[in-house]
Amino acid sequence: MAIDPISIRIRNIKKNFKKTIALDDVSLEFEAGLMHGVIGPEGAGKTTLLRLILGLMRPAAGTVEFFRGGQPVTFEEIRPDIAYMPQQQSLYADLSIDEHLEFFRALYSIPKDVYQTKRQELLQITQLTEFVSRPAGQLSGGMYKKLGLMCALLRSPHALVLDEPTNGVDPISRREFWNMLYRLSDQKILILVSTSYMDEAERCSRVHLIERGKVVASGEPRGLLVREGVKNFDALFMRHAVKDMKPVATL
Amino acid sequence: MTFPFVWSRAMAVAKKEVFHILRDPFTLALALGLPVMMVIVYGVAIDFNIENVALAVSDSDQTQTSRRLVDTFDSSHYFLVHHAVSPAAASQDVVAERAKAALIIPPRFEKDLLDGRGGSAQILLDGADSSVVGPVSGYVSGIQTIASKRIGNFSPTPPYELRSRFLFNPELNSRWFVIPGLTVVVMAILSILLTSLTIAREWENGSMELLLSTPVQPLEIIVGKLTPYAALGIIAQAFVYGIARTIFGVPFVGNLAVLALGCGLCLATYLAQGIFISVTARNQQVAMQMAMLSGMLPTNLLSGFIFPVASMPLFFRILTVIFPARWFIAIARGTFLKGSSLLQLGGPFLALTLLCSGMMLAATRRFKRDLEP
Amino acid sequence: MTEAAVEVRDLVVRYGDFTAVDHVTVSVNPGEIFGFLGANGAGKTTTIRVLCGLLTPTSGDVRVGGASFADGERAIKSKVGYMSQKFTLYNDLTVEENLNFIADLRKLDRPTYLKRRQELFDFISFDQSPTSLVQDLSGGIKQQVSLAAALLHDPQIVFLDEPTAGVAPASRDRFWHLIRQLAEKGKTVFVTTHHLDEAEQCGRIALMREGKIIATDSPDGLKKTFFPTPVYEFEPKQPLPYAELGSLQNHEAFAYFEPYGLRFHAALRRPETWDEVRPQFENKFNITSIKPSLEDVFIRAVENGL
Repeated sequence: MAIDPISIRIRNIKKNFKKTIALDDVSLEFEAGLMHGVIGPEGAGKTTLLRLILGLMRPAAGTVEFFRGGQPVTFEEIRPDIAYMPQQQSLYADLSIDEHLEFFRALYSIPKDVYQTKRQELLQITQLTEFVSRPAGQLSGGMYKKLGLMCALLRSPHALVLDEPTNGVDPISRREFWNMLYRLSDQKILILVSTSYMDEAERCSRVHLIERGKVVASGEPRGLLVREGVKNFDALFMRHAVKDMKPVATL
Repeated sequence: MTFPFVWSRAMAVAKKEVFHILRDPFTLALALGLPVMMVIVYGVAIDFNIENVALAVSDSDQTQTSRRLVDTFDSSHYFLVHHAVSPAAASQDVVAERAKAALIIPPRFEKDLLDGRGGSAQILLDGADSSVVGPVSGYVSGIQTIASKRIGNFSPTPPYELRSRFLFNPELNSRWFVIPGLTVVVMAILSILLTSLTIAREWENGSMELLLSTPVQPLEIIVGKLTPYAALGIIAQAFVYGIARTIFGVPFVGNLAVLALGCGLCLATYLAQGIFISVTARNQQVAMQMAMLSGMLPTNLLSGFIFPVASMPLFFRILTVIFPARWFIAIARGTFLKGSSLLQLGGPFLALTLLCSGMMLAATRRFKRDLEP
Repeated sequence: MTEAAVEVRDLVVRYGDFTAVDHVTVSVNPGEIFGFLGANGAGKTTTIRVLCGLLTPTSGDVRVGGASFADGERAIKSKVGYMSQKFTLYNDLTVEENLNFIADLRKLDRPTYLKRRQELFDFISFDQSPTSLVQDLSGGIKQQVSLAAALLHDPQIVFLDEPTAGVAPASRDRFWHLIRQLAEKGKTVFVTTHHLDEAEQCGRIALMREGKIIATDSPDGLKKTFFPTPVYEFEPKQPLPYAELGSLQNHEAFAYFEPYGLRFHAALRRPETWDEVRPQFENKFNITSIKPSLEDVFIRAVENGL
């Protein structure tokens, strides 16, 4: 399935909420066809950043630019090809898996035959086929997230934006979720994943580390660790945070 | 930024909404149970007709005339007479709420009448109970006239006679007055309250964020969500009409089409109001409070449903102009009881149309397409 | 000499037909940092609830800090402090108001409370004003104040439920330093977490699956048990198509071959075959010898049903 790869460029984004600065002069490059991790602790600004990209919020300053096949495009032009999974629960507890899929099919005007094939495929990958009639409210945490992913993947997006999709999910389900994302990597889909799990950073092709609204580091994970001379991303954050934090209390 | 309106998307939202309605016990109870309860309460339990008012009678005269006077009261179905031993006892009955009124006939009542001095008896009314005072004093005057004639062919001196006849509702059946307006009360619950919750619920749920990231347009969301509630509203209206005609026997002498038009307009305004509240409030609690304050309260109290607009202070009389219920009640009573035509109800219809369009405009414009706090 | 801080024998918790905890036996000593790992629904939360005195077991012997259910739930509750990721403090109250509230709930007398409070403020190096609203505090400081709140009544045993989820690494580091200090003072610390790097900090870990404990050991011990043969990391020199992964996973030389993001962790079936196997992959992969991670352990234990 050859698609024109989408890429995104963010330039000098600033965003405030009353007295807090959510994003402070953030510039990032999301190259096409790769899995990008936006890594940072809670309150770093990850969710704000993703919402800005999707047009759900507007920056106080700076631009978000979209490209398809290298050519600049507007967000509205690619809106049908971008899928989103918000951080908080965003599905309907009283609707079953199948009812969810039906709903999103209609929202994206997916033709019936395309939908049937896709639905089958997705249910198989997520191993949720036997649960299609179960209401979302009765699904386990991991299954709920998988449903969210299915709804996002239903219309074969060219770009996927996931906000902390594995938050609070047990390690096994987390793994399965990431495996599902990997299946997509063959298709050159642009994937943006935000997470506060440092160990997930290494699973991405590119990582962008954010803390308190500022970019701490950005690039290929392994190379970054070598350059900074640290063992893992925890250490990388601590290196940059040391100036603001007090020394650890000694015994 | 304006994409064409896609019906399939709107209907997908409508279908989802139907699932939510059916699966939420609260909504279902409200939608089905409340109209029935309202009809029962306003139609059956509350009765503004005053009958069998307890009347304590102290007859200190004990003559044929005085007994005839008492008898006139007794034989009417408005009063339930019991005798008190003395004037003091009679007034004590009123104080102790054993009676709502007292008739005190002094000694020499007949003698004074026959002597041409004019007899006077005293009526004491329980002024603390305002629902009684008006009707009872009305009855009393009516009975007085009858009594006067009965007692000794004493007619009041005017050469003409003023006889009141109550047009359209000859027996002053309070139910005929109240029930046509019941449609709008039931509609207010269904249309404003339930609708106001629906979008607020998506915000609270967190699902609005996801919805907004899809190609669906605000207008599609609004139309989709309104459709089931509009259907419910129409069913409710038909239900109330049916009950009014069959069980309560309210006559309908007007044009059904005119009533239907009025119903449709009022419903549309209410739905728009519900949506307006829903897009303004970000959570269900606030939405419900707004719906109560701006929707249900005015409908029940300030629309003329029970308390006539004409008897409200000037400020409120002017205020009621912005409430669709006030205009609909005029239309409902007009079509049920008066047989008014569209032309005769032109004022209310014009007002309704204006309110409807205004509210719809406000609702659509207010729908935020983003997550800015 | 050391009496176990928490002693559980044959704990069973049943909800109707469903057995949430199926004959769990575990013994934890004072001063241990003990971790509970498992998938959601494995029985972790239920077990913790029993140990906190919040849930009466269907059967089994439970002694927490010397108290058992025979002594009443409150006896157990008084020995235990609980800190949850989801909630410990009221956002719209100040730090002081929160702590006052907890002191009242715990029926601490004023002098004891004030003394404890000051000790705890020192312990966490609390340098903010006690009259700050909780919602104005940073995530890391909130966590530390939550910990202080859980310790207010000086419990012997502390339960931490996903204590540092989402917190900045530097704060997380500080937090674990505090935990270690607590352990050194003889307190018993239970941790449940989905952050496996947090689990590495525990002295011992219990792995739960379907209501049973399938292994209890130190992190290193678990790694040795589940990975007796050497483990290697395979890093593809070129991006690898997902389809190829399947064939590698089924390669008969490997007992274990799992994707780790873009890399793979592999364990041989028979270590002696390494010299033969290695050349087959060297051209496509950079291969390094590694210690297995707890996630590997987790997968092996839970998924592969060892």
